[in-house]
Amino acid sequence: MTLKSIYNSSWFLKSVFALSIFIILFVSGVTYKHMKNLSYSANQVEQTYKVSVELEQIISYLKDTETGQRGFIITQDSIYLEPYLKGRERINNTLAQLRELTKNNEDQRVNLRELNTLIEERLSNFSRTYANLKNSSPNNPRFDAIFLEGKNKMDEIRVRVNTMIALENRRLEERKEAYKKDLKFTPMFLFGLTLLTLILITISYTKIQADIDKLKDANAKLEIFKASANQSEIISKHGNWQWIVEDKEFIFSDNLYRLLGEEPQSFDSTIDNFMQFVHPEDLEKLSIQVEKMMEDQELPFINYRIIRKNGEIRFFKARGKKVNIGDFEKRVLGTTHDITDEVENLLALEEQNFELEQNNKELSAFNYVASHDLQEPLRKIQTFISRLEDKEASKFSDSGKLYLKRISNASSRMRLLIDDLLQFSRTNKSDQVFETINLNDLMENATQDLAEIIQEKNATITLKNLPIANVIPFQIQQLFINLLSNSLKYSKKEVKPLVHVACDVVRASEEEVIKKTKSDFYYKIIFTDNGIGFEQEYAEKIFMLFNRLHNRESYSGTGIGLSICKKIVENHKGFIFANGKPNTGASFTIYLPKK
Amino acid sequence: MNTNFMHIVLADDDEDDRLFFTDAFDELKLNTKVSTYNDGVELMNYLKTDTAKIPQILFLDLNMPRKSGMECLAEIKADTKFKDMAIAIYSTSASEEDIENTFVQGANIYIKKPSDFKTLKKILSQVVTINWQYHTNGLNKDNFLMRL
Repeated sequence: MTLKSIYNSSWFLKSVFALSIFIILFVSGVTYKHMKNLSYSANQVEQTYKVSVELEQIISYLKDTETGQRGFIITQDSIYLEPYLKGRERINNTLAQLRELTKNNEDQRVNLRELNTLIEERLSNFSRTYANLKNSSPNNPRFDAIFLEGKNKMDEIRVRVNTMIALENRRLEERKEAYKKDLKFTPMFLFGLTLLTLILITISYTKIQADIDKLKDANAKLEIFKASANQSEIISKHGNWQWIVEDKEFIFSDNLYRLLGEEPQSFDSTIDNFMQFVHPEDLEKLSIQVEKMMEDQELPFINYRIIRKNGEIRFFKARGKKVNIGDFEKRVLGTTHDITDEVENLLALEEQNFELEQNNKELSAFNYVASHDLQEPLRKIQTFISRLEDKEASKFSDSGKLYLKRISNASSRMRLLIDDLLQFSRTNKSDQVFETINLNDLMENATQDLAEIIQEKNATITLKNLPIANVIPFQIQQLFINLLSNSLKYSKKEVKPLVHVACDVVRASEEEVIKKTKSDFYYKIIFTDNGIGFEQEYAEKIFMLFNRLHNRESYSGTGIGLSICKKIVENHKGFIFANGKPNTGASFTIYLPKK
Repeated sequence: MNTNFMHIVLADDDEDDRLFFTDAFDELKLNTKVSTYNDGVELMNYLKTDTAKIPQILFLDLNMPRKSGMECLAEIKADTKFKDMAIAIYSTSASEEDIENTFVQGANIYIKKPSDFKTLKKILSQVVTINWQYHTNGLNKDNFLMRL
């Protein structure tokens, strides 16, 4: 894990805060303890001073007593006994205070006890002195021993007091030392910790600030997205809704209200309010689906109608799907689409289709009439003509024979027209089945069909190897027949007809003439002849139905053959083009898609 | 005259076609006896009488009132009595659909009525001289439609 990812992770902030709080608590604790230490030290110092003062006080009282004693010895005046009498009481008070002050110190207590004993002994020494003084003169040698003892006791007391003061002073020094040490390190430690806390809080602040910026940014983007979603909803006639599963509540988007012909958020987004708009015939269907959705959290595509308040009927299509986004509660997100335009278009299309179907049916009926009903009387006319020619022609005058010949020609032509029309209408059929077949076989069949005329015209047909392709076999065969017979028909009278068929695979993008491509590769089959050709300006016209470039006397034909060719090629999603040069020849180029 | 003539029947509602048919056989001078019926009902009424002589070849038009050629074909094929009778469909149209259906129903040959009397004579003479046993064995969809 890199530093950056740690910085960006969600637990980073929490950890930093927890750490900061811990440090602050720790700092507070340490400070509190330190303060307590300080006040304790101060107390101790004060106590030490007090002990010293009290001890000095004892010495002072003892001195007062001694001074009184001396005065009494000299004057025998009882006034000098007062310091002794008062001193005793004061010493006892001071000792009591000292006991209180040194109750926590074992050494001092031992010292104090001994001091106490010494003082008692000193004081008893005083008492004995006074008792003796009443009976004898101070110059009595008896006193020497007592005075010496008193002096010694006093010395001992001084030594003891000094020891105690020294002890207190030592302790004071120790405390001062510890206090100094505390004063030296604790503030630095606390300062360091506080600094660390400040750094941590600064980092957190930066992080929070960065997060807030990011959030603001995301919010702005979301606002833009919302605006664009709103806009697209309006333009594409969509409305959105949400079903909050846990709360059992709906949220409708503004445009959903507009689709219903209402002002946005003009009524509560409840299913009951919505259902008031639904077409009565679709109400049950939709209710069942919506109830199912509340259980399954999924609404399959459903079509229904609504009626706006102005009576307008609109067609809706809705769909809903469960989504889980982030920490949100489960929701079904739904889209409702106003498909009225589509439905109306569809209805219009259906109507047009129906009309087209009717037209097609009429055309088929016409084709049947042309193929069957028209053929029958024509066949009879032709048969009767052949009967007349066979049996009765000898009885006709020359003009009668000519008329008969003309009738025969006209009916033959009609037969040709009917046959070609029939073929053209058969090429119309779109339900022909594509088969993968060798085009060479189809070409072979075509030349066999034309064997008679090929022989008659002494024509030569040269072939390049043709591919195996996916085509409607009989149509391609018809195409070959029509193109070959076209070349043979429009051959020059004095020259042997020559037709060359070439084939190549080409890339659609490399052929200029191919505009809209369905396929990347095409078979390019070219029929080239040495016939009479045509002016290039007619190159497109010759593919039109009933279009002829020559009169019937010079070249027979119905003007349907090449139309059939075009239709067949188009059925195969291919292209056909003609190139001609008068008296030189014509070439027909066919492109068939290579699949 | 040889009494062992070939018995031929034509069912066609068209008077002209019946005329061409009988004229052609008259002119062909083959050893045949031709009888014609005006529609499918008449034909089947004749064929179903017990005394009827079953023809060697039946020429059947498809488009007839009352009972069509297809219906007659189905009835005939359902009756084993007629199993040796050759059936030639004789129709104006040569639509793929008609050819396919009659082939499947078991007709032996399909003739598209020609528009020339000479051709008609040629076709009819060929049909009556066909060795049916041989023809039927080698019959397939491609040679079902008669070509000259």
